[in-house]
Amino acid sequence: MDITLFGTTPKEAQFLINSNSNNDYATTTTIGNMQTTTTINNHLNSHTSTSGISSDSVAAAAATEPWGGQWASRLLKECARAISEKDSTKIHHLLWMLNELSSPYGDCDQKLASYFLQALFCKATGSGLRCYRTLSSVAEKSRSFDSARKLILKFQEVTPWTTFGHVASNGAILEALEGEPKLHIIDISNTLCTQWPTLLEALATRNDETPRLRLTVVDVISSAVAGGGAVMKEIGQRMEKFARLMGVPFELNMISGPNRPNSTRLTREALRVRDDEAVAVNCVGALRRAGLEEREAAVRVFRSLDPKVVTIVEEEANMVAAAVASGNNDDENDFVERFEECLRFYTLYFEMLEESFSPTSNEKLMLERECSRGIVRALACGGGGGDYDDENKEQGEGEETNYAVKSGDGWDFERREKGTQWSERMKKAFSPVLYSDDVVDDVKALLKRYPSGWGLVLPQAKQQQQEQQQNDHGIYLTWKEEPVVWASAWKP
Amino acid sequence: MINMAEEDAISYIGFVQNPIEGISNNNNNNNPPLKKKRNLPGTPDPEAEVIALSPKTLMATNRFLCEVCGKGFQRDQNLQLHRRGHNLPWKLKQRSSKEPKKRVYVCPEKTCVHHHPSRALGDLTGIKKHFCRKHGEKKWKCDKCSKRYAVQSDWKAHSKTCGTREYKCDCGTLFSRRDSFITHRAFCDALAEETARVKAASDHMSYPMAAGNFSYHFTGASVGANMTQHFPSVFKPISSPNDVDATIGGGATTRGLSLWMGQGVSQLGQEAAMANNNVTSLQEIHQLGTVSSSGPTIFRTTTDHHHPLSVSCSNPPPPSDYHHHLNWVLGSSTNKLSSNSSTISTTSTTHDQELTTTSLPLRNNNNVKEAASSNNQLVSVPSLYSTQHTSHHQTPPSSANMSATALLQKAAQIGATSTDSSFLGSFGLKCNNNNSTQVQEGSNKSCGLYGSNIISTTVESQEGDHLLQIYRPAKRRHVQGSEEGTTGGGAGQTRDFLGVGVQAICHPSSINGWI
Repeated sequence: MDITLFGTTPKEAQFLINSNSNNDYATTTTIGNMQTTTTINNHLNSHTSTSGISSDSVAAAAATEPWGGQWASRLLKECARAISEKDSTKIHHLLWMLNELSSPYGDCDQKLASYFLQALFCKATGSGLRCYRTLSSVAEKSRSFDSARKLILKFQEVTPWTTFGHVASNGAILEALEGEPKLHIIDISNTLCTQWPTLLEALATRNDETPRLRLTVVDVISSAVAGGGAVMKEIGQRMEKFARLMGVPFELNMISGPNRPNSTRLTREALRVRDDEAVAVNCVGALRRAGLEEREAAVRVFRSLDPKVVTIVEEEANMVAAAVASGNNDDENDFVERFEECLRFYTLYFEMLEESFSPTSNEKLMLERECSRGIVRALACGGGGGDYDDENKEQGEGEETNYAVKSGDGWDFERREKGTQWSERMKKAFSPVLYSDDVVDDVKALLKRYPSGWGLVLPQAKQQQQEQQQNDHGIYLTWKEEPVVWASAWKP
Repeated sequence: MINMAEEDAISYIGFVQNPIEGISNNNNNNNPPLKKKRNLPGTPDPEAEVIALSPKTLMATNRFLCEVCGKGFQRDQNLQLHRRGHNLPWKLKQRSSKEPKKRVYVCPEKTCVHHHPSRALGDLTGIKKHFCRKHGEKKWKCDKCSKRYAVQSDWKAHSKTCGTREYKCDCGTLFSRRDSFITHRAFCDALAEETARVKAASDHMSYPMAAGNFSYHFTGASVGANMTQHFPSVFKPISSPNDVDATIGGGATTRGLSLWMGQGVSQLGQEAAMANNNVTSLQEIHQLGTVSSSGPTIFRTTTDHHHPLSVSCSNPPPPSDYHHHLNWVLGSSTNKLSSNSSTISTTSTTHDQELTTTSLPLRNNNNVKEAASSNNQLVSVPSLYSTQHTSHHQTPPSSANMSATALLQKAAQIGATSTDSSFLGSFGLKCNNNNSTQVQEGSNKSCGLYGSNIISTTVESQEGDHLLQIYRPAKRRHVQGSEEGTTGGGAGQTRDFLGVGVQAICHPSSINGWI
């Protein structure tokens, strides 16, 4: 949506914004029809570069409006509603406005507007999957070991977002596998192995007898796209070196290539798990990438590995609308609900990034960009299995796929669920394990090492343990009192 | 005989074994008690009274209670002073006039090392703290890092410093948090070099880098065709997957080593396995962060021309010698032929400037001694250097296809005629002996690298003038670098973990004794 397309000037834009506040859409007749052509698509994808300038003045104008403070949220929600109601005039208008006001280089509102606009546009035009693939491909091409390492380490340095899960999981794993001479950890995560150095160090220093550790890694980020193996290979080498330095007998196995959550490659036999090994499954930020139907299968796969402990860490948000989760594939009714939840979550995330990083931080920008894929995926790419295939057929056929993975071939679903929802799934094959006081203390100590704003919430009550239907298990990391990350431990 | 009682303090006269002589007399009453002399912990005065307190007693604090307010005190003196405040009659015990009997305490825990009177601790507070620390429940926990302590004072001391300590990575970054330091370390680029260095350093044992210059000068051309035949096939670079550990010299290293390996194998018709073993061991050597680039590179340059061993000296060493060297380097039976190496004259004036590193100044015979002295470690490998170093004789280039026996004979010849060689030879002998010992003991890891069997056999069969030269891989590296001008890695590095593994082969002390 180019400004010229609609033939309006900033002044007119402001007028439109003003009038919009009155919900009077009659004045928007000057806006031409939005065309769902590839040019628009391209424009959208590249709009980040062009809208910066034009939107500044508009944004400045908008900011002075009485409702300017939270304009992004309002506009976005309005737009989502319009899409759900299929009110195309309104859709056009709002999309245009958002385009004017948004910028991935602006403040939080502008950024959110920018990324969510992209998803809304894709949703409106049905180009979600294509957009997602484009974004993934671009991201993968520019990904390197150095850039990934720098990004993730910096992130861990300034926020406990990921380290929270690491500390909790490592603590649970160490305790569950205490005394075992041979350990085998199956790691299905998006952590790029950053969880393991501290575990290796703990193994080396804590125990009198350093156990042998075998680590099988399934990197869900790399698995979803082609060419993701190079980074993991490098990481693997570093891990091996580090383990040698620590003096821990170590064996690493990287599962590369596309694989699905319920892949047959994840069986005891396939992974060559030995009988005398104590198995732990560590699943961080990965379950949400499994398709809805696959989640249950994934739990079964975990169970089949016969682990002593399973640690799950997920971000706390419910992007699986109730209707879809219950099997009713009618995605539309719940779009608004899903959208609002998505917006809530990412608003928190962006605000957290804003406050944790320095204003001109490049890492912050990279992290925000990485969100764009998740947002598009969650909002514009269809719901359960049915939609999946339909979209695939619509856009996949005859289309040149440069990616090794079509949609649904890997860990790329990106619909988060809340801790209680995951608990419900896990309970079908596992029973919850409480984190010991030591582990909780470790987590608290960890949070103390970060700037203020972070908190810890423990499960409601030990006295309510008898109420098994309560799905309140695990601990939560909170940012400004809002739970953002959930960590839990399970045993068969 | 000492009886240990589990009940409350029971003292008895016991005689404590005195593990350390000379200490027990320190506290004799003969000495004026100007200052209480402390025994080393766990080495008590044999005439002291041994006291065994019960766990309850040890863990108890504040045994002295005020009857008025119930406040507890650790010592009776403190309680008395406190009673003054209540206007209660108090009495301070005077320090007893007679010389107090020395008391030592043992730990009631049977499995503890301090349970035995010979390892009793001399201080009541000390034994209390010990018992708490080792056998007590850790009730105190650090706030910041959740480390636990049983003794409150330990915990307090830790809390003061916790979080203030800074961690520094090799790459120069400072961390205030231990966990982020660890994670960073695991991914840091500095780790690769570090691993190699650490290993090398530990094996190195402060291997002094001799100041000699490597007078080796390998020139590809000079050696002549003779050399060619031996090397060609052998000198295939080891495509070591071990790019990791010995980053020094990188690729050059692997190749160089392979050269040696190859040499040894082909030359002496080493056990076929040699080649494979060599490759492996080379890699292992790499891991030791030693050899690496230095040595091999020398050969490497020549590889291209199939003149791996071209040593540009006034007297180009005969190929056979080279082989010997190589073999030697490989720790194979080359040792026998080591003496031949002397024919490889490195003493030539050509010095490679870059070979200024340590170790053997192969350059002059004079330096041999220096080199030898500086090199504590005998390396079966470095024969090349040593021989060159000692080059007394320039044996005319011989057929590269000299048999092993012939080579041996040659070595004997050479060894017999040169003082240096004998010097080295004996040195080598010694080393060899040590080597074999080492090997047999299997204590030396590096020996193992070369295959203990190989080394030992080599050693044994020595003619006696075997020159186990101190091997300096680093030197090789430098040579190589200088030779090629840009071999890169090794060239600039004076460090020589060279032969870390190799050096270890020969027991340092023997060499020291030598020098």
